[in-house]
Amino acid sequence: MRTRLLLVAALAVAVASAGVLAHHGGNLYDTTKPVMLKGTITKFEWGTPHNQIFFDATSDKGEKQSWVGSTEPAPVMLERGWTRRSLGPGDAVTVYIFAAKNGATVGNIQRIVKADGTELTASGGGARAGGEGAAAPARP
Amino acid sequence: MTPLVAALIVLVGAATLAAQDNFLPIGPPSPIPTSAVPDLSGDWGPGAGGIGQSMSGADPAGRLRGKEPDIPYLPWALARTMEQVPPTGPDARFEATTDPQIHYCEPPGPGHIFMYPAKTKFVQTSEAVYILHEVGPVFRPVWLNAKHPPDPDPNYWGHSIGWYENGDTLVVDTIGFNDRAWLDQVGHPRTEKLHMIERYRKTDANTIAIEFTIDDPGAYSKPWVGRRNLARSQTGFMRFAWVCSVRDNYEHYQKVGAPGNPGATTFK
Repeated sequence: MRTRLLLVAALAVAVASAGVLAHHGGNLYDTTKPVMLKGTITKFEWGTPHNQIFFDATSDKGEKQSWVGSTEPAPVMLERGWTRRSLGPGDAVTVYIFAAKNGATVGNIQRIVKADGTELTASGGGARAGGEGAAAPARP
Repeated sequence: MTPLVAALIVLVGAATLAAQDNFLPIGPPSPIPTSAVPDLSGDWGPGAGGIGQSMSGADPAGRLRGKEPDIPYLPWALARTMEQVPPTGPDARFEATTDPQIHYCEPPGPGHIFMYPAKTKFVQTSEAVYILHEVGPVFRPVWLNAKHPPDPDPNYWGHSIGWYENGDTLVVDTIGFNDRAWLDQVGHPRTEKLHMIERYRKTDANTIAIEFTIDDPGAYSKPWVGRRNLARSQTGFMRFAWVCSVRDNYEHYQKVGAPGNPGATTFK
């Protein structure tokens, strides 16, 4: 019985972790710590294979940077409470993003906080949310 | 060697070859079990465990690609798997992927389609169960009280027949596959000899557990098994139709699939 339980537990862990690295280009991003960026949305593309969020932010050195970040595709983000109208050009936002390891201004969005305090969570979501892994953070 | 011994050797050899070409019996059990019909209605999305990457039951994340303890590769199938470049997962290189679904929007086929984070619906009639997928969107009929045609034309989805078992399970028996789609996101090949059995078991009101038996003597030396779960969706089937678009795939690559390569003009 104990062996069976261990096997079940091991399988559960294996399955739960299956989605961790599922996303396109996931191995290209630093997923150890999200970067915080304050900026303004310039375009929000809602669709598949993934949503794309374009925004301008200012670097630590005061330079304006144009970023693009992705989330899970629209059908998954619907389950997480997003719609195609969740963001629009001109929205002031604070973006938490897993940035590219090579310094490119692209990455995987983890969450976004709008000026009115509305928080849009992009990562995780769990099984009922239709995500790629119940225990998995979002992936780039 | 006497003629009798020679004949026996030939017979045993022929039986062995036949067995290698047909591991599992194809078609419904005889007689088809009389069973209550499970209610599969509703809107279903990825369940506990998520979509994963690999059909391997031992390695659903695809981390052991080529070394999974439960996949009995034939040598060419192992080589073919390792030649492929997945678009997702631990070995992903989206900019260089060889995934036919990404490049051409070719259908992923049974099993593989559950590795997309989209929804599914089952329409149950007395004649067939129609499995509808948001990805595509596409549907596949599973013919009840039916047999496979003797020589089905190979295609992406195969020819499916089905029956119910134990009051909680829909069994889907499929042959007639082509060899173009991958079994999963990490490039496991399939051949025209593939015989897939899917068991959709309603384990509670909000869960369907799926077991896939991959019986493909063209690529693997014996059958092996993968698993996924479905859970009830909160937003409903086809709230967003995942129309496959090569342009969308390409533009995603251009924007975020391969940081540092924004000038690339095509998949490599």
